[in-house]
Amino acid sequence: MSKPTLLLIDDEERILRSLRMLFFVGYNVRMTIDPYEAIRILREERVHVIVSDQRMPVMQGSELLRIARETSPATMRILLTGYSDLDASIASVNEGEVFRYLMKPWNGDEVKKVVAEAASIAEASFAVRTHSDMAVELTGAKPRVLIMDHDESTAITVHETLGDRCDIIWASDAQHAMEELAKQDISVVVSDLMLGATNVGYILKTIKQLNPQTQCIVVTSFSDTSRLIELINQAQITRFLPKPVSKGILARNLESMLERFHIVRAQPVLQKRQAVAPISDPQEQVQAGNFLGMLGRLRARINA
Amino acid sequence: MNAMNEANPVGSEIFSLINAIDAVSPDSPLEELAELFASPEYANLLSLPVVENGRPVGVISRYRFMDIYLKRYARELYGKRPIRNFINDKPLLVELDQPLSEAAQHVAANMKFPLTEDFIVTRRGRYLGVGFVMDLLKVMEQKMRANTDELEKAYTQLKSSQMALVQSEKMASLGQMVAGVAHEINTPLGYVQNNVAIGQELFLQIQSMMAEYEALVDKLLNDQASEEQVAVQMQLVAEMRNDVNTQEMLGEMHGLMSDSLYGIDQISELVLNLKNFSRMDAAANDSMNVNDCIESALNIGRNVLKNKVEVVKELGVLPKISCAPSQLNQVFLNLFTNAAQAMEAQGMLTIRSWYAEGSVYISVEDNGKGIPQENLTRIFDPFFTTKPVGEGTGLGLAITHQIIHQHGGEIRVESQVGEGTRFSIKLPATSSETVQPILKAVAA
Repeated sequence: MSKPTLLLIDDEERILRSLRMLFFVGYNVRMTIDPYEAIRILREERVHVIVSDQRMPVMQGSELLRIARETSPATMRILLTGYSDLDASIASVNEGEVFRYLMKPWNGDEVKKVVAEAASIAEASFAVRTHSDMAVELTGAKPRVLIMDHDESTAITVHETLGDRCDIIWASDAQHAMEELAKQDISVVVSDLMLGATNVGYILKTIKQLNPQTQCIVVTSFSDTSRLIELINQAQITRFLPKPVSKGILARNLESMLERFHIVRAQPVLQKRQAVAPISDPQEQVQAGNFLGMLGRLRARINA
Repeated sequence: MNAMNEANPVGSEIFSLINAIDAVSPDSPLEELAELFASPEYANLLSLPVVENGRPVGVISRYRFMDIYLKRYARELYGKRPIRNFINDKPLLVELDQPLSEAAQHVAANMKFPLTEDFIVTRRGRYLGVGFVMDLLKVMEQKMRANTDELEKAYTQLKSSQMALVQSEKMASLGQMVAGVAHEINTPLGYVQNNVAIGQELFLQIQSMMAEYEALVDKLLNDQASEEQVAVQMQLVAEMRNDVNTQEMLGEMHGLMSDSLYGIDQISELVLNLKNFSRMDAAANDSMNVNDCIESALNIGRNVLKNKVEVVKELGVLPKISCAPSQLNQVFLNLFTNAAQAMEAQGMLTIRSWYAEGSVYISVEDNGKGIPQENLTRIFDPFFTTKPVGEGTGLGLAITHQIIHQHGGEIRVESQVGEGTRFSIKLPATSSETVQPILKAVAA
C-alpha cells in the first residue's frame, strides 16, 4: 500500500512546517497556505485526510471543508483551530461535517492518532461511493425517529415531515428516551441538549458508540462552544441547529439526515467515517456507564 | 347616616375622609341653623350640607349664615324662610370611588378663598357625608411624599444598576479582548510546543546515534575487538547514517528552532500588549501620548481587525496629555471594533491624530456601511444598539462619550450611509510639556 496523502492548510507557515514533522514518516504530506491551492490539490490528487485551520484571510476553514466534502467526499475532514467560537464550530458541523475538531495548541500524539485513524477510514471508503446523490434503495425496516425535546413544535415538524415514512417516538424526559433507545435501534435522533434539568450529551455520545448508523440532529438554544466541540468529537452529531429553528430548515435537515441514514445502512463501511472519540468528561463517563448497564438489562429482558 | 353603614367599597381612598354629618333639609327654616352651628357636634364644620331626597342640593356655610343673620332684623326678616333661598347650590362634590388625586384636583380648582365650605361626599350622586378640605390636602401631601420616596429609591437603584452595567460592559469588552488575544497566542503556542516536542524526540535519537558512533570508535581503538565485531558496528552506524528521515528531520530542525524563537517573540509581544492595555487600571491619571493609546488599542484589537481591515495610520506629533490611558484605550478599541463591524467585506480604517491650539485631535474613519441619519443622534444614548439581541449592550459608545467628557473633551460623529463613518475627538492638552519628536506615519 502506498503512503496515505495528508493535506495541511494554515495561513501560518510555521504551523505547517511544524505539523509536517509529525507526519514525516508514513505519509505523503502536502501543505499550503492558500485554500484555493488546497481545492486544486483535492481535485487532482487522492487525499486521505485534510487538516485545516479555521480563521484564514481568504476563506474560513469550515467553508474550505464544505468544498472538500463536495470535491472529494471520501477525504476525511479535520479542523485544527486556536479559536473556539460558536459560529465556527456550528459551521464545522453543518457545512464541514468534520470528523474531529481539534484545538491549538495540540497534543502531538493525539493528532497523530486521529490522523492515522482518519487515513485508514478514508482508504476504506475510497472503494465505495459516498456521494449523497447515489441512488439509495429504500429497503429494510421502517426508519425510526426519536425526538428528545420538550418543545412541541419540534415534534410537530418531525411528524409533518416524516410522519408517513418513519415510526416517530417523542420522549420528553431522559428516562423515557433511554427506555426507547433500549427497546430498539434508532435511525435519526432529534434532540435538545437539555431535557428538563438533564444534560443529555452523554446519551447522544453513547448512542453513537452503540449504533454508528444513527444520525444525530441537535436542536437547541443551549450554546456552549466547548460542549459543542465535545459533541462533534464524541457524538459525531451531524447537524447543530440553534433554536428557534424554522420549520423549513428543520424539515430540510431531517430529509438529508434520513437519506444519510439510508446510505450508511446500505454501506456499512461508511459508518466508520462517523467513528467517535471516547467520552472525556469523567461525570459523563459514569452516566454513560450507567446507561449502558441499564440498556444491557433491558435488552436482555426484551429478548428473553 | 344609613349610607355610612355600608362597607367601604374596595379601594376607595375617599372613604376615610368622610365625616357622618346629618344633613339639613332645604325646607328647614334658616333659624334652625343658628342652633346647629352653635352645637358642639358641628363645631368643626365650616358648612352644613343641604340634602333633599337623599341628594345634596347645596351647602350653607357658617360664614354665609353669619353674614345674613348678623344683619339688623335678619332674624325677624329671614328666620322663618327656608334655607333653600340662601344656599350655595354649587357645592364641592366628591364621588366616593373617585381617585383621591382627581378629587383633590377638583376641590383645589373649585374651592374659594378664604375657605368657607367643606366638600360633600356622594355615592352615585347620593349624600354620604362631609369631608374637610384640609384633611384631603393632608392625605394628598402624604401620598406625594410617599411617591417622592419611591421615586428617590427608584432613582438610587437605577443609578447603581447603571454603574453595574457600565462596569459589566467594561468587563465584557475587556473579556472579549482577552479571549481574543488568548486565542491568538494559541497559534504560536501550537507550533512552538510541537517543535519543542519534536526536538526532544530528535535529541533522543541523536543521543543513541552518538552512543553507536562512540561504540564504533571504541571498538576501532580496542585491539581486543574482533574484525567481525567492528564490521557489525560499522554496519549499524552506516544504516543510521543512511536513515533519510532522520537526516531530513535534522535538516528541518534548524528551521523549526528559528520558528520557535519567532513564535516565542510573538507570544511575548501579545502578553506585553495585554499588560500595557490593562496597566492603566490603576485609574490614576498619567501623562501619556495619545498615539501610544491608539497603538495599544490596535494591538489588542488586532484579532478583530486582521484579515478584514486595512489600517492606515497618520499619527502626528503630539504632546503628552494628562489622561487615564486605560480609559482612552477603551475608547479607541471601541471605535476600532465598531468600525470593523461596520464593514461588510474588506474595509479601510484611517486613524489620524494631530495637535493644534492646545488640543489633541483624533479622527477615526472607516469606509463601512455608515449610520442612517435617524440613528446618528442616538448612537451615544445608553442602550441604543442596532446589533442583534445579545451581541451588543448598547453601552459601548455611551461609555466612550462619557470617558471623553470626563477628560474635558468632545466627540462628534459624521456618517454617510454606504460611504462610511468618521468619529472626531478633541482632547485638551493641559500639560505644557514639550512636544515629543515621535512621528509615526506608517500603514500597517
